[in-house]
Amino acid sequence: MSAVLSAPAAAPTDAAPARRARSLTHPPRTGLLLVAPALAMIAVFALAPLAFALGISFTNWPLIGEVEFAGLTNYVNIGNDLGFLRAVGYTLLYTAIVTLPILVLGYALAVLVRTRRRGATLLRTVFFLPFVVGLTTLSFIALLEAQPGSGAVNLVLAALGLTDGSTAWLVDGRLATVLISVLVIWGVSGLTMLLLMSGMQAIPREVYESADLDGASWWQQEWRITIPMLRRTIAMSLVISVIGSLLAFTQFYILTSGGPGSATTTVVLHIYKRAFVQLQLGSATALSIVLVVVVALVTALQLRLLRGEE
Amino acid sequence: MSSTSSRNDTGRRETRTKRVLYAVGGTGAFGVFTVPLAWGLFRSVQPGEVIVAAPDPATFFDLTAENFVALVTGPGNLIRAVGNSLVVALCTAALTTVLATAAGYGFARFRFRAAPVAFALVVASMMVPFQAILTPLYLQMNLMRLTDSLLGLVLFNTTVNLPFGVLVMRNAFSSVPGELEDSAHIDGASTFRIVTSVLRPLILPGAATVALYAFLAAWTEFLGALTFLTDRDLYTLPVAMVNLQQGTYGDINFGYIAAGSVIAMIPCVVLYVALQRFYVAGLASGAVKG
Repeated sequence: MSAVLSAPAAAPTDAAPARRARSLTHPPRTGLLLVAPALAMIAVFALAPLAFALGISFTNWPLIGEVEFAGLTNYVNIGNDLGFLRAVGYTLLYTAIVTLPILVLGYALAVLVRTRRRGATLLRTVFFLPFVVGLTTLSFIALLEAQPGSGAVNLVLAALGLTDGSTAWLVDGRLATVLISVLVIWGVSGLTMLLLMSGMQAIPREVYESADLDGASWWQQEWRITIPMLRRTIAMSLVISVIGSLLAFTQFYILTSGGPGSATTTVVLHIYKRAFVQLQLGSATALSIVLVVVVALVTALQLRLLRGEE
Repeated sequence: MSSTSSRNDTGRRETRTKRVLYAVGGTGAFGVFTVPLAWGLFRSVQPGEVIVAAPDPATFFDLTAENFVALVTGPGNLIRAVGNSLVVALCTAALTTVLATAAGYGFARFRFRAAPVAFALVVASMMVPFQAILTPLYLQMNLMRLTDSLLGLVLFNTTVNLPFGVLVMRNAFSSVPGELEDSAHIDGASTFRIVTSVLRPLILPGAATVALYAFLAAWTEFLGALTFLTDRDLYTLPVAMVNLQQGTYGDINFGYIAAGSVIAMIPCVVLYVALQRFYVAGLASGAVKG
């Protein structure tokens, strides 16, 4: 893990004479040729669109018709773009709702499976299954089960006597948010579990043995040893889940299409609609640039945390 | 008490309370994580009209294969969409693995002047989420005639998965001792021969990790396929299902959606359970997105 992000030149550590001998078997030109195809793909399909995006964001860029230079208009208009501001607000709210539960549930699951007990391997596999299946498929399953009168969500709640079983989860903004949040928390906490579990297993057992001799209780060991020692891993899994929430699209598109009205429209969904439904590509791209900057900042934090673990 | 309790492998005391809590919590959580997926399986063998009706004991267990038959014969051409998804996922896995292996070898073993810049670009591209550059990417792919094209979708998915793949493969090559290559060179083997025969067994786990991630990512990818494909014959499974749901093909039959979900789940579950080792290895490389 530690070597992943170190500089590439650090790999061969030969002294100068050996290096000369080595370059005969590893000519620099071959190296360039080997990395060129991957680099070309990344340049064409990731970096060029980013540069292109900057350009488009200064125009009105309709899908059909003449392109006009618009200066900073698209950026200035962001401040007045109520739909976008509402989407930002909603995305932040959604992120705030799901982040802590994902961490807490992931932590609890990790506690359950971190020791070599009977069935722990099976449980690990099972807890991670929803994440592997993916939010696209999970959303379709949830769609069926959220139907009033027939869906399992309503049947279970009615059987428990909590509702009458006729709740229309997806046509009310608040209820839809609750349903989608529960779906996501359940679906992705397996990832947090796996990340935290490998961190927990790396803590030397002597630490706990001596804490035990000092009479520390289970809670004290958890608070004073496990959590402090996992600080970086916890931060990293938080960053991963925050980025995922900031970029949320699929579950909202499938389950509510951002509705009713725009009640459950996330930032990516808003940008998608602005570009491909309203066909205002200049404006949509200016919004994208804002998103790129925010996510890049969060990702930079993630990479720093990773590097810090060396 | 301390005389009766032992320590577990993490160095903590193993008490009876803990064992009971583990049994109870484990069983409960097992149910919470398996029942919804199993329920999804069960729904796929219920007729569409039963799925949307209030449960009636008389019909609830009238199981049928009609939803799966309808994948082939019914509206929405779901079987074709399954084929498209499979082609896209397999091609993405193959292309990503080949390109990542070449680049990983280049970065791990060769010294060339552009290496630091090239590697920085790979890492930098990880910070650009494709969701955020979708609009310009769409325009650009349109110009390149890569929209409404499975090839375009493969190139897109490959690019999304490449940075992670390159990191994994660079690590795989870095952990192979250099002497192996040296002796192969002395024997006159070419770079291609060295990678495909001498180094192959050693880098295979890394390559399997890259292929597995790329396949699963492409198989479940939704936003890109939704944006780049407008031709119904080219829809991937999730996009075809969304159209089915939105009534593009007439009344929604939830049975078809249930069956489509099961088809979408199968490769994920089978590949994950069979290749779990490689999946976890990929996680450890720290390049997973939430």
